[in-house]
Amino acid sequence: MTQVLDREQIAEWSGQQPQRPWTKKPARLQAWIAVAALLPSALVALIFTYTEIPGPILLVAVFFPLQLLAAGIAAIATKGRQGAADSVIIVLSVGATLFSFIILTSVLGSLIVRGIGALWGEDGFRSSFLFQNNVYINPSTPLEYGGLGHAVIGTVLIVLIASLIAVPIGIATAIYITEVRGRAVPYVRFFVQAMSGIPSIVAGLFILTVLIVSGAMNQSAFAGGLAYAILMLPTVARTAEEVLRLIPEELRTGALALGSTRARVVLRVVIPAAKTGVITAIILGVARVIGETAPLLLTSLKSDQTILNPLGNPIAALPTYIFDNVALPYPGAVTRAWGAALVLMILVLILFTLARILGRDRLNRFR
Amino acid sequence: MSTAEYESTAEYEGDVTVLEEQFTEQKSVGPIELESQDVSVWFGKRKVLEGVNIACPKNTVTALIGPSGCGKSTYIRTLNRLHELIPGAALAGSVLYEGKDIYDTDIDPVHIRLQIGMVFQKPNPFPSMTIRGNVLSGLKLSGLKRDQHDDIVEETLTSAGLWNEVKDRLDSAAGELSGGQQQRLVIARALAVQPHVLLMDEPCSALDPTSTLKIEETIRELSKDITIVIVTHNMQQAVRVSDYTAFFLAAENEPGYVIEQGPTTDIFGSPRDQRTLDYVNGRFG
Repeated sequence: MTQVLDREQIAEWSGQQPQRPWTKKPARLQAWIAVAALLPSALVALIFTYTEIPGPILLVAVFFPLQLLAAGIAAIATKGRQGAADSVIIVLSVGATLFSFIILTSVLGSLIVRGIGALWGEDGFRSSFLFQNNVYINPSTPLEYGGLGHAVIGTVLIVLIASLIAVPIGIATAIYITEVRGRAVPYVRFFVQAMSGIPSIVAGLFILTVLIVSGAMNQSAFAGGLAYAILMLPTVARTAEEVLRLIPEELRTGALALGSTRARVVLRVVIPAAKTGVITAIILGVARVIGETAPLLLTSLKSDQTILNPLGNPIAALPTYIFDNVALPYPGAVTRAWGAALVLMILVLILFTLARILGRDRLNRFR
Repeated sequence: MSTAEYESTAEYEGDVTVLEEQFTEQKSVGPIELESQDVSVWFGKRKVLEGVNIACPKNTVTALIGPSGCGKSTYIRTLNRLHELIPGAALAGSVLYEGKDIYDTDIDPVHIRLQIGMVFQKPNPFPSMTIRGNVLSGLKLSGLKRDQHDDIVEETLTSAGLWNEVKDRLDSAAGELSGGQQQRLVIARALAVQPHVLLMDEPCSALDPTSTLKIEETIRELSKDITIVIVTHNMQQAVRVSDYTAFFLAAENEPGYVIEQGPTTDIFGSPRDQRTLDYVNGRFG
């Protein structure tokens, strides 16, 4: 005897409303959650108003342990011991997330507070700061005049040169490790790993002694780009390697079984499948170097003029512009430095967004 | 062997009878297209297969059956030189394709794989390509020139039993298809390069019964023009689709052997080895 779908019931079911019963919590639990959430904050607020203890110390030394304790007690009261472990882990992970979020926002916040003066004044938005250069400007010149246009161009030029060198070599290295799988793989991996430990000033020193002191080239955007490339290469190679490693072996065998050559497997199947990841590798490489100051101090020096020739002369860049201005005893110059730092952050943001848009895979959008 | 005897060996009914009638048509045995001679296979120091001699006549279906871990999949991968991609793999004996050893030093494995295609157990469509792109990927990857791409797409997807489900969304991602649809897509992909031999490693293990039936029809249809070797765990499937069957078996810590091989009707109807009889009747494995 089986049961058959009863047609009359269908009308009944069509009246059902979607619900989420798993979101409902018993009243006792809700009360405990309210107490555990409010009591520590209220207590810390009281201490903050009536004592002189600074806020950050209160937050880390009083509020956080108190909140942990409160969550633990509430959990034991409602769900027993195991619930306590659960809630402690939740509070710890939420706390850690909040902590890094606070650090990030306070870095951004201080950049904006101190740097906005260079970009925005009584006369409104100062496009001059973005587009003019530093010629005829001295540290006491009012902020209405001069800007870091030359340094933005310098940074873009240097990073571009570094990328043109490091990205192809880095990706080729990753392909050698994951696709070619030659005999030298362990050694190549070892050297890439060792290379990622090179201090940035050493990369600068290397280019300085080998190429500049020897007379092979001037201190220029190209020299700076070479120093950046040394730092960028291991990041690109290692990230690209990780990404290519994630591509399932079945795709490679599948392509080979269709009569594909090794080269076509890599170019037409593996790299396209890993496109987003490869672009992430490039972004991480750029992010690794874009703020590096030490190598540029040795290889590209600085300049007040807008320079487009990557080979001839010393050139300005954002990190060196910041370095030069921030220590000057003039408030205007310091504001320029903070403004430059803000512009650098925005530049990185623009680069990242651009790369994300370029890397968006029409076919993989559901992943 | 008559139809009556045939029916007594395996039990099925309904929609399969149509297929069954086709299979009992006796084919005249053509020249041997693919043949392995004394093939033994190692992974590192471990010998996993020994002395495999299987000859596949042109335009026939050969089924490889046997319990898990007896070396069927390993064997089938030696037939188009995919075996050598596994680190530590080794091989003795020879595999003759159209009379020539495919392991000769002057033979290009890429050329062999182009003529001896393969469908894997796990569907592996290329995620960066559309459905259409996947079907045509073999042409791009092998550098093969074939015109009328739209016709190829329709023809191969129809053979694989997928055309009606995807004809309106040929340009959407292959990853959006269900597992069974993906498997039929990779079968279409393998057909687009027009291989002379098609190796299938449990192609239906991830498919629902309807898709399985479609694939089996496709196999029968294809076997008019190409030679097929199929690994299967489904005994009924072996009976339904194959002309010849080889039964693999490996004892514990010993390499696998072909215990018995011959016309499928004989393997399932009157096997000479007790172990084959037990296996085809589902008594072990």
